[in-house]
Formats: sequence, C-alpha cells, structure tokens
Amino acid sequence: MPPSRESMQNRGDEDEVCPVCKSSRYLNPDMQFLINPECYHKMCESCVDRIFSSGPANCPVATCHKTLRKNRFRKQTFEDINVEREVDIRRRVMQILNRREEEFDSKRAWDDFLEQREEIIANLVHGTDVAKTEADLQKYAQENMRSIRANQALEAQEASSFQARQTQEQELARLRREAVRQEYENERRELLAGREDVLSRLAAGRPGDAATIAREGQKVLLKKSSARRSEEDRIRQKQAALRNSDARKAGQSGTTAADKAGDAGDTGLIKGLKRIKTPEPEKPYDPFGGMVPDKRDYYTLQDFYPSSYLDPIRQDTRMQAGGYDLREYYSRTLLEAFAGLGCFIDEEVSEREAANTDTAATEGAAIAAASTSPAGSA
Amino acid sequence: MKFFIDDLPVLFPYPRIYPEQYAYMCDLKKTLDAGGHCVLEMPSGTGKTVSLLSLIVAYQMHYPEHRKLIYCSRTMSEIEKALAELKALMKFRTQQLGYTEDFRALGLTSRKNLCLHPSVKREKSGTIVDARCRSLTAGFVKEKKERGEDVELCVYHENLDLLEPHNLVPPGVFTLDGLLKYGEDHKQCPYFSARRMMPFCNVIIYSYHYLLDPKIAERVSREFSKDCIVVFDEAHNIDNVCIESLSIDITENSLRKATRGANNLERKINEMKSSDAEKLQSEYSKLVEGLREAEQAREEDQFISNPVLPDDLLKEAVPGNIRRAEHFISFLKRFIEYLKTRMKVTHTISETPPSFLTHVKDLTYIERKPLRFCAERLTSLVRTLELINIEDYQPLQEVATFATLVSTYDKGFLLILEPFESEAATVPNPVLHFTCLDAAIAIKPVFERFSSVIITSGTLSPLEMYPKMLGFTTVMQESYSMTLARRSFLPMVVTRGSDQAQISSSFQIRNDPGVVRNYGNIVLEFSRITPDGIVVFFPSYLYMESIISMWQGMGILDSIWNYKLILVETPDAQESSLALETYRTACCNGRGAILMCVARGKVSEGIDFDHHYGRAVICIGVPFQYTESRILKARLEFLRENYRIRENDFLSFDAMRHAAQCLGRVLRGKDDYGVMVLADKRFQKKRTQLPKWISQAMLESETNLSTDMAVATAKNFLRGMAQPFKAKDQDGISTWSLADLERHREKQMLEEERARRQALANGHGANGVANGAAAAADEFDDDIDDDLMMLDAQ
Repeated sequence: MPPSRESMQNRGDEDEVCPVCKSSRYLNPDMQFLINPECYHKMCESCVDRIFSSGPANCPVATCHKTLRKNRFRKQTFEDINVEREVDIRRRVMQILNRREEEFDSKRAWDDFLEQREEIIANLVHGTDVAKTEADLQKYAQENMRSIRANQALEAQEASSFQARQTQEQELARLRREAVRQEYENERRELLAGREDVLSRLAAGRPGDAATIAREGQKVLLKKSSARRSEEDRIRQKQAALRNSDARKAGQSGTTAADKAGDAGDTGLIKGLKRIKTPEPEKPYDPFGGMVPDKRDYYTLQDFYPSSYLDPIRQDTRMQAGGYDLREYYSRTLLEAFAGLGCFIDEEVSEREAANTDTAATEGAAIAAASTSPAGSA
Repeated sequence: MKFFIDDLPVLFPYPRIYPEQYAYMCDLKKTLDAGGHCVLEMPSGTGKTVSLLSLIVAYQMHYPEHRKLIYCSRTMSEIEKALAELKALMKFRTQQLGYTEDFRALGLTSRKNLCLHPSVKREKSGTIVDARCRSLTAGFVKEKKERGEDVELCVYHENLDLLEPHNLVPPGVFTLDGLLKYGEDHKQCPYFSARRMMPFCNVIIYSYHYLLDPKIAERVSREFSKDCIVVFDEAHNIDNVCIESLSIDITENSLRKATRGANNLERKINEMKSSDAEKLQSEYSKLVEGLREAEQAREEDQFISNPVLPDDLLKEAVPGNIRRAEHFISFLKRFIEYLKTRMKVTHTISETPPSFLTHVKDLTYIERKPLRFCAERLTSLVRTLELINIEDYQPLQEVATFATLVSTYDKGFLLILEPFESEAATVPNPVLHFTCLDAAIAIKPVFERFSSVIITSGTLSPLEMYPKMLGFTTVMQESYSMTLARRSFLPMVVTRGSDQAQISSSFQIRNDPGVVRNYGNIVLEFSRITPDGIVVFFPSYLYMESIISMWQGMGILDSIWNYKLILVETPDAQESSLALETYRTACCNGRGAILMCVARGKVSEGIDFDHHYGRAVICIGVPFQYTESRILKARLEFLRENYRIRENDFLSFDAMRHAAQCLGRVLRGKDDYGVMVLADKRFQKKRTQLPKWISQAMLESETNLSTDMAVATAKNFLRGMAQPFKAKDQDGISTWSLADLERHREKQMLEEERARRQALANGHGANGVANGAAAAADEFDDDIDDDLMMLDAQ
C-alpha cells in the first residue's frame, strides 16, 4: 500500500486555512484543528499551543470574549459545528433525563417525555429560555439523584453485556469458520489420499483387477460423501437445538434486567411516570394456608371426658408412672376427628383455577361443618 | 387446438403442441389445484410463455374463482412479448368460442414509457419524468387549482376523472403500444389508466420490481387478493433481484446532497410555520394519536415509499422525539453527520447492524426506535409540506430508508465500508454498502401473501437451490427435457487445446501465453467452420480485455478477421447496442461476425441470438464471480451459516447458471440449431449442474475433447444440420397434433390403469422399493473444485 494512504487520515481541502494564524494545509499538511466546547471556534493545534500554554486566555476570535482553557480543547467529531454543539448539549441532558421506557405508565407518556426532552435540548441549542431550562434541569437532577444513578448503572451494564455478547458471537463465528476450513482441508486430503491409494493399487495389481479397483475407489468416495452429508444433517440439528435454547436463555435474562427499583413517582418535570410500588415483603411459607393449628375452631378441649374405658387408666399409677397423660390423648384424638373438616378439595381446585371464587361459600361450608361438630365430639 | 387436461378445457393457439409444453401445462395445473409454490425449468425456445398463458387463462375462465394472474418478467421487451402473445391467445379463444369473453389484461411499466404529456415525455431520465408527472397530477395540486390558484395540470390525467373509475379502458388485451395508442386517441393517461385498472384486470403483466422491491410493491401491488397466481418468468436471477432491492449504497456525494435536502426541508418548515402553521399542527396531533394517515388521499399520490416494516410497527405511534417536524430535521441532520464521520475512516470495515446501532447511540444519542420510523416520518413530512420537486430529496430518502432498514433487521444484513475504490487507489472515494445477504427477506411477503407462486425459467438447475435460498417449500419441482426430432444442438466440453495442454480460466494459468493461444485457436477454428454469427462469452470485462489484447499481439485477431467481423461488448450500453446492430447486419448479409461479450453482461441476459444470429456459442472459462469482493464473501458466509450452502457449491451453482444462460442464448426454438462449446477443463466435472435439457444432450464422448476433435465433431454436426429438414419430420416426435396428443393420453391412461392394477396386485410391497431407489439417486457435485480458491473470509 502506498504511504500516501496513511496521510489521508486528515485529508481535506488543500487550501483549508486556520482562521487564527492563517496558515494553510498546503504549507502544513499535518495541520489539525481543535475546538473548545465553550465557544466552538475552530483553530489549529499550534495556535492552541501558542495561546493557551501559559494558562487560560481569551478566545482569539475577534467577537468572542470567552475565556478558554487548554485542557478543554479537543478534536471535532462532526463536520457540522452546529451538530457538534448539539451533541454536546444532548450528552449533558441525556445524562440527567435518563428515564427508561419501562418507568412510564403508557407508551403515550413515554413519547411525551421523549418530546419534552427534545424540546429542552432544542431550547438549549437555540438559546431560548436557557436560564429557566437550566434551572429546571438542575432542580430535577438534585431531586432525582438516585434514579439517575440507577439508570446510569443499568445502562452501563447493558452496554457491557452487549459488548460481551458481541465479542462472544464474533468468537463463535471465527470458530465456525475455522471448523469449515478444517473440514474442507480434511476432505481434500482424503480425496487426494484416496486417489493416491487407487493409483498405487492399480500400479501394484494385475491388469485384470483394474476395473474392480476403480469401482471400489468410486464406492469409497460415494460412501464418504454420504457420510459427510449425514454428519452435516446431524450438525444442523444440533445447531438448531442450541439456537433455540440460546433464545430461551436470552428471553429469561431479559426479564430479570427489566425489574428494578426506583424512587419517587411524578417529579415536577416529568409527567406520566409509573407509581413505583414497593413490593410487599414475602411472607413466610404457611403450610396451613392461614389456619392456625392451635386454634380450635370446632371444639374446646376439656380436661375430662367420661369414658368407661379411659376411667381406669386415670387411676392406674403404672400407666402414669411412664408420664402418660390423658389430656394428650384427648387433644390428639379430637384433632384427628376434626382434621380436614374445613377442607374442600374440589373447591380449592376450582378456586385456584378461577381465583375469584366466592369465599362466602367456603365460609358457609365451614359453618355447616361446625354445626355438625357436637355430634362428632359426642 | 383444443384439448382437456383432467376436466379443464385448454385452448392452445397453435395447431401443434410440443410434448414438453403439454407436460408443463399438466404440472402447472396440478400446482394450481394443490395451491402451492412450484419451480419449473423449461428449455428455452420451447414456448414457455404461451403454454403458461393459455393454461392459466383457461383455468381462470373455467373455474368460478377467476383467480387473477400476475405475470412478472424481467425487461420491457419481454413484457411486450408476453402481452402480444396473450393478445393472440385471446383472439384465438374468441374465434374458437364464437364470442368475446369478458377479459382484461394490461401491462404496467414506468411513467417514462407510458407518458403522453407533450413536454414531460420528452424528458430523458426516468426520475425527472416521475417528478414532473407528480407535479402535474398530485392531489394537492388539484386542490390548489380548485382554490383558483394558477397551477398547471396534466390534461391526460384530468380526463381520467371524467370516466367511470372501474371502466377506464374497455375489456381486452392491451399491449403497451396499444395502451399508448388508446390513450392518445381518447386523451387519457395510459400510466394511470393501467394503475387504476389493476384491480379490475384478469391478467397483469409487469416487471419483477413491482412485486419484489418493497418500496414499490407497497404502493402498486397492495390490493391483490391472496388467491392470485404469481408467475416469475426468467427467474434464474431472482435471488439477486431480491438482494438488490434491499441493498443501499451511500457515498459522500449522496450524503452531501442529503444534507442539502435536510436544509431545504428545514427552510420549508420555517416557511410553513409562518404561513400555514395549522397544517404542521394537525400533522403533529395526528402523529401524537398514532393515526396512520387514514385519509391518504389516493395511493398513487404517495411520493416517497417505505421499505418493509413488520406489521406491529405499522400500528405503533411515531416515537415522541421525532414527532415535531423541527425535531425530526435535527434528528436527520445528526444522523447524516454521523454517517459523514464514518466515511472518514481509511480502512475497510464490516459490521453488523446491532454494532452499528450501538455506535450511533454512543456518538449521537440516536436510538433504535426513532431510526425505525425514519422513512415513514419523512414520507409524512413530505406530504404535509406538499413538496413537488421530489427528486431533490432522493438522497435524503435513501438515507432514511437506510436508517429504517438498519434498525429493523438484525440478521441478514451487513454494513461494509470501503474507503477506496480499488486496492491500488490512493484517493479515497468511500462507499458505505448496506448489503442484504438474505434473498428470502424481500421475497418472503410474496410467498406469504399469495397461495400460488410459480418460478420458471430456461435455466434453474439445480432446482433445489432456489427453495433453499429463497426460503419456501414447493409442491412441484420439475425440469423438462427437450424432445427433438434431430439432434439440433451440440453441447461440447473442450478441455484441452490442440497441443493437449489443459485450458482453464483459473487464476493461476489464465494469462499463460499457451492457454491464451489455445483459447484463440478455438475461436479461430470455429470462426472458420461456423456459418454466420458466433457469440463468445468471457468471465469478466477485465479478462476479456487482457485476452483480446494478447490475441492481437499473437496475430490471432488478424486471422479471425479473414472469416468474421469482430465486435466487442463494452460496459457502455450505447456502444454495445451499436455493436449488436452491426453484428446483426453482418450476420444477415453473409459476412458473418463474432461478438465478444461478458457472461454477466447485458448481452448474456436479455438478447436472443436465434437462427443465423448465433450458430455457435463459445464459453471461455467458467464465469465465476469475483471472489475477493467483500460483499460476496459476506453473502457466502451467510449462506453457509444459515442455509448450510457451502461456499463452493454456491459459487459453482452461480457460475453454471450464468454459463447455461449464455448457452441458451443461441437456441431459441426447435427449428433452430447451434453449437455450444464450453471451453474450460473445469466444466468437465460441473456438467451435471447444467440444466437437464443441455446435459442430456451432451454425449459422454463429448465431455473431454481437444480443440481439433471438437472442431471435427462440430463440422460433422453442421453438415448434418445443413440437410433439408421439413416440419413434417418433427410430427409425432417433437411436435404433436391433436391426434398425437390423444394417443399420448390414451397411452398414459392405459399405463396408469396397468400401474394401478399392478399396485393392487402387489399390495404394499412395492412402496419400499420405490423409496430406496429415490434415495440412491441424486448425486450432486461431490468433487471439490480444486481450482476454486478457498475463501478466507474474515
């Protein structure tokens, strides 16, 4: 490649002239222009060195009286200086107003927000209402420090994960390419080897065998090609399966990224933000579904139940010596007798299906069950 | 003649029919009955168009659904030919049936070809005609006129409004010329007559682009119902058409123009703000509501078209940050400036749409969402501003289309930035190629929308490649051979020169003096023995130039000059047409001529060399694509990863379809004859990839010839061809009269009967055998092409 290509880096007009020192690109082909985001006046590098090396100074452009510092000078990204300036402003505003779509109630609200942001940027760019807009922005920034931080972090995280995915994909593509090349090489080598083999056998064998050897060689080739094809099929299926599972995984990770905690709802500047509901802390698992086992709904445990079978035991010291307590017995048998009276499996199933089943019905059933309890206890 | 296929009466406008035409019609009928897509390969010059038209017209007329036919062809002349064919067919039908059927058929082509306006039609460029036509016909111009403003209107277009909207032209078949004439007589605009009459036509014939290019299809072909029969004729290049319709090239120049366009728009907006702010406000409020212009006055007024968008997107409202016109302009400007910065890079870059989008976002804070709506928003803005001189905004529209496409499709597209035109160039001329890699994207809507899509051409081998590449399934896939009473074409593969040295156009040896001389000898020998015209095809312009200059040095051209006039195709269309003209004259007056052309050039695609215009075609070298092109490399990789089509398979398929296309140029009918020479040793292995009708006619003994043997064979063949050959000799073999047809059908019926009886007798035992046999067949290019370089795509 000719060396001139490298110097094309900063190509431009031959007669481009630095507006400050009037030296042209013709005289100084390596001339580079810098700008300062204070006033966006363009000047060449050597001018910047000359004027601003000894500390801050005024912009050399006649009508501009801004004070500039050397460290703020940078290269221009866009050709159009207005766009350059707009993008700078945009960067600043976007860092503050970095709400995300999922934070809004409706698509409409989100669109309104987007337009509002655009409006703010346009105001700053065109210099209308700058003071008020700036004040609004500052206020908003102070009030919503937390959500701004959170969104920034989220964005950074998204960017980095995207980057990671991208590099991973590239790596995979490279591997695939490598594999294909390998396969190609192998095939070719095999083909050549096969040919060689047939030739050597033809050379060694008797003239009569020639036809058979040739046919065999052909057959081997065919077999190999069909084997390759079936192998390809297999690989294809595997890849399809892999792709599916990848897609599923991506879907899952997408949902987790979406949920995120924020703070205050409507702020002064932005309308239509979602009311942030702090999710209720999850209750500990309750196997009885709200029923308290110690609570006796259907009966009260008494100290004494007359029974001809149990009475002797009460007196029997041999039994009591081991710590046998009849009250334990009462409590257990009664619990067993009433256990499950309040459960209606059919209803619970249908309730699960249609979550809004009538709770009154179950209550009614419970009452009915309770009314039968005396009979049970008797 | 009239005959039946199953229960369908077919009127065929000729007294005789070719057996392959009959088979073609039968298969077509089956496909239409089954309601699916099909791929049919029919030898060139065997009356594909007429059999297609006569069957489908019969189908339309016989069955109550009256399915509409959309017939897409490639060039103007082919459209015109098909229309003429259809006209003759309908005339014949009227004669046979004794009454005129209620039937309408129209062709559609660009405004430029159909304009009657005295000053507009004199414009040379198509875009200017379009723009001027719009400025005379747009809806708002008319409104202005009604308001009493002084604006010019096109009288031809205005007259249309006086007619009944569903009866702008009387029933019948109109060729393009006929339509022009009718328009002139009745002072009505042929273009808009055709456009507005499309819903009322039985047959519509137009170019591929009206259906495939999503930007046009949206406007022209939207109203067709699902049961339309869509035919793509000459469809061997359809994948490239699909890809081209979605690919965009952006240069620095077009960006400059786009900036200018954006500035103009900004000015217009400011003007409108001061004069007619209401309009902008109403557009704005409509966008806020997310209404898609419900009252889009008339479809044909729409100036700027949108590329394909998924349906869900169409229902959504435009994002808030480009809702206001001034915001949208600043958005566009930012995007254009961003593209300009990308253009400054001095090394080649290829990146995927997602990575491009992230970079856009990093630099300019433009997000994906508004980018997707870019094209649509621009359309809406242009309509609101009532702009007339649309051609100024062409580059801007291109950028907007690019923005929409790049943000809509993650896969199947690639951005390639080439800062220099060629390897050696030092002056940068950056081009940003946004290339579509997947032919299926553009054609997918067609397959989804229409129940029967028929893809047909003279050269579609291998057939299974097309369904694979275009992503559809077929119910019928058939290649027909050519029935011939005598061997009327002679395909040969010449692998060696007279000195027994192998000849090939592969990179390593293509410029060897020995190879070049051998090629020269082939051309010389054939120019000596062949009467009238010879066509020679080279793989590329570059190679053609170098080889011709070497022949000049070797004195070969001087010797050829003794026998034939030498003419060369150039990239310039005007020059080429002049050369073609001279070639025709020389063939007609007996001097004889050689036309040197390029296998991918204009001559190889659209121009027929029938009869004495082409008695021999010589294909020098396998016409592979230029494999170092980044776009091709990207496409190959995409095909490999997504469709499991191997690089070499695709390259060889592509080369062979072009070679076959070149060979087919010379044989345009059954009474025609010609020699086909494939001069490259690599053709020997690839001949299985030729269409069935060519490869069947190629004898095993003629696949590995040296020059002198080939010349001797050709001499023999030409002598045989010179014998008188009467049409009567073909009867019953390659042309059938009605009686022959009846006999054939009876035989077929008997055969079927017998087969059925046999099947009944054998029970189910036969099934397994048939399956096994089918599996054993199909052996397609397992040889690796040694000469093809392995592509190190990166």
